[in-house]
Amino acid sequence: LYPSNIFILISLFVLTLPTSVSSQTVLRMIGPEDLGGAWAEVIRNFHDKHPDIQIDYVSGPWSTDERQNMYIRSFLSGNPFELVYMDVIWTAKFAEKGWLLPLDRWFPLKRQDEFLPGDIQAGYYKGHIYRVPVRSDVGMLYYRKDLITEPPKTWEEFEQLCRKYSNPPERYGIVFQGMQYEGLVCNFLEYLWGAGGTILDKEENIDLETPENRSALSFMKKIIDEGWAPKSVITFQEQHSLEFFEKGGALFMRNWPYAWKILSRSPLKGKVGIEPFIHRTGQKSAGTLGGWGLGVARDMQYPEAAWKFIEFTTSAKAQKILHMRRGAVPVRKSLFNDAEILKENPHYKELYELLLKARPRPVHPDYARISSILQKHVSAVLVGIESPKQAASIMDRSIRSLFKGKKSGWFYRLIVDYDLSRTLKNTVLFTAISVPFEFLLGLSFALVINVPLRGRVLSRLSVLIPWALPTAVMAMVWQWMFSNPFGVINDLLLRAGLVKGPLDWLSTPVGAMFAAVFADVWKTTPFVTIILLAGLQSIPKELHESFSIDSAGSLKKLFHLLLPMLMPFIRVALIFRVIHAAGIFDLIWVLTKGGPADSTRTLGVYIYDLAFRFDEIGYGLLLTFLFLTALILISFIIVQLTTLPYERITR
Amino acid sequence: MRSVLLYTLMGLIFLYCLFPFFWTILTALKPSHEIFSLPLSYFPQRPSLENLENVFQKRPFGRYITNSLIVAGGATALTLWIASLIAFHLRTLDLKQAEKIQRYFLVGAIIPPTLLVIPIFIGMSKLSLVNNYFGLILSYIGLNLPFAVWMLHSAFRQLPKEIDEAALVDGFSWMGRLFGIVIPLSKPAFSITAVLVFIFCWNEFIIALTLMPSQIKYTVPVGISMLSGASVYEIPWGEINAAVALTTLPVLLVIAVLQRWIIEGLTAGAVKG
Repeated sequence: LYPSNIFILISLFVLTLPTSVSSQTVLRMIGPEDLGGAWAEVIRNFHDKHPDIQIDYVSGPWSTDERQNMYIRSFLSGNPFELVYMDVIWTAKFAEKGWLLPLDRWFPLKRQDEFLPGDIQAGYYKGHIYRVPVRSDVGMLYYRKDLITEPPKTWEEFEQLCRKYSNPPERYGIVFQGMQYEGLVCNFLEYLWGAGGTILDKEENIDLETPENRSALSFMKKIIDEGWAPKSVITFQEQHSLEFFEKGGALFMRNWPYAWKILSRSPLKGKVGIEPFIHRTGQKSAGTLGGWGLGVARDMQYPEAAWKFIEFTTSAKAQKILHMRRGAVPVRKSLFNDAEILKENPHYKELYELLLKARPRPVHPDYARISSILQKHVSAVLVGIESPKQAASIMDRSIRSLFKGKKSGWFYRLIVDYDLSRTLKNTVLFTAISVPFEFLLGLSFALVINVPLRGRVLSRLSVLIPWALPTAVMAMVWQWMFSNPFGVINDLLLRAGLVKGPLDWLSTPVGAMFAAVFADVWKTTPFVTIILLAGLQSIPKELHESFSIDSAGSLKKLFHLLLPMLMPFIRVALIFRVIHAAGIFDLIWVLTKGGPADSTRTLGVYIYDLAFRFDEIGYGLLLTFLFLTALILISFIIVQLTTLPYERITR
Repeated sequence: MRSVLLYTLMGLIFLYCLFPFFWTILTALKPSHEIFSLPLSYFPQRPSLENLENVFQKRPFGRYITNSLIVAGGATALTLWIASLIAFHLRTLDLKQAEKIQRYFLVGAIIPPTLLVIPIFIGMSKLSLVNNYFGLILSYIGLNLPFAVWMLHSAFRQLPKEIDEAALVDGFSWMGRLFGIVIPLSKPAFSITAVLVFIFCWNEFIIALTLMPSQIKYTVPVGISMLSGASVYEIPWGEINAAVALTTLPVLLVIAVLQRWIIEGLTAGAVKG
């Protein structure tokens, strides 16, 4: 044996060793960054009581979607995180898939009565309870008490107040969550319910092509069109709305209860009131029920230990810690009469009423898909790509085809899959724009660098750099450079006098596609350059010298002499580039996440979402296979098209 | 006149290719109030390393680097080991046969990872290798083997046959000839292949994202892409740029030192198909 072999064998052995050996029961859960140390304190208290159980709080990304993906991937891998810290909307899917343990035997009806009814209801799926609520949430309207005496109940009253008191850009009417993500659906549902509409009826039938839906969408659009909300609201999540409102930028804000605590420490202290969300005249108001709860993964060894932790976390003591440290709304009814809590939160009486009236989002195993369709089209309305009427009809059709497609087999599903045709279109567009640019630039770079000049090494080196840097990482840099208002690209354009004001690159469909193409061209032009440079160098010197950039007729020479000789190199580069541009994932995933309104979502992102977000690995595999077949076909076509007559003869 | 034009063009290429990288470094060096103030400053008024410190103190960035080193290092070592065995065997075949086998390998090299991620994930979860360094290493070996075999095979071919005949007479075993003679003699090609495979593994995103769900196993690109979502407040652009600068600088240096060989290696690998 040679030293290198021994080294490799040892490293192989080390790598396969189990990572930790311990006699303690370790339970893992994923949550957001533990700001304020609330979870750390709960876990410490629990540990004092049960020293044999160790809780490992994994600090996940802030985005709930991302955390859900982490859970799904861990379930699929067969080694799940033992404690499942779930958003209300995950329960149905996780339970349907059989990933969760029913908790009925530990959590009888009598104990359930101690909790808010809506939160309990959201933990049920097909007659079993899978999730115990830990914190509650409901969407509501914050308003400026100091400016408005009578808060609005209806859309019409809201409209009048906005017309009267808002004067953008100093003070807008309302800020809410307009970005394409789950929060947008929560906002949308409050308008839809407030207009008397609904998504799924009792028999789980879908009907969204309704006047209620159209009027909800139209009203949301009106808010933006009339300038009651700032244009940038379409990029807002909760935190952005809160910051905007906190600075006095708006009369109203739609947000969750957590904002109260932050506002009460801001200059707005005492100037803010809460109200149920506005509704259409003659209808009823409803806030979207949110909140988090704990469940137990089915495939694991210590369900008893997990239950002990859940029991502790939902006890009055732990609930208070979570409330004090983190502003979490408790789920135990008794705590809303707790003197200590009421002293700090006089608004909890009103909040309690809101929580009792809160409405859950549809409980459906395919909720994630339904929501992603809603997000897309509500966002499309706000951005202005679709009219409310169009959006209502496409939403309806997409969700119907989703239900039907799942029932009636893959072939039918391929035909009706709206996402598929949309992402396919984006993929073709992206490839068709970026590849020609890469070739144009790549060839020009190669021609320049190929001229023997001093300093050529430096330009050759600079060309290698974009190629060598990780795409996903550089996508972050491009996101930063294209951002608004601190992005350098806007700054350069403004300085050059090419634009009048900063552009919203990443939040408009055309801008986002442009940014994605631009970043891809930057990243992959070097590859084309390197290959074509090799081609140029393989051309005999004499031909070379007869070609120079400024000599007369050089374009003619380029086409008649150089390009034919470069053809084998062009062919290779073209096949590589077309295949990899069509299969693009990391750049899009990091730069735009496919948004806004799906305008940059490519097939690669869709397939990934299917497999790892919507848990439809089978359908994802089918698309993968078809995609691969298509790419092989395209490669053959490229080979045929770029094979010149004389090459055929020499073969 | 002509050289002025050419130098201008070269300068433009240089600027175009390097600008995002420069901008990252500049942003990384600015304190956060300077990052978020208009008009933008093109040179940091008061350069500080505050962002870099935060990356290591507030986030487990050192951990990400360790993970990436383990995975990319392990995958590179194993890929080269296996690839040299295969390439050495291919050398003993006649050229036509060897190239036929090569062609199959190359088809595998073209498929984008987007299309491989689901099959790889299914395979790795069947083997219980999700969230395990070895699972990711195994996938990277699969992804990079075709390229490495191609590179090493063309290097090994260039050595005269007489060398191993002589070694055979001297009593060298098969492995002995490979590790004692052929690899040392093709050191340049061998190291370039190693560097390129390492860079590919270091940069890979989608498979690392999928196979390593828990944060303590993130590789650098995954960790950086998740930084934007780590906090409720403003996206921490200063820290992100510091992290990017930190992870791309070593790549840059390696490239600068080895650029000539990399260009040769890449073109040899990509064009012969």
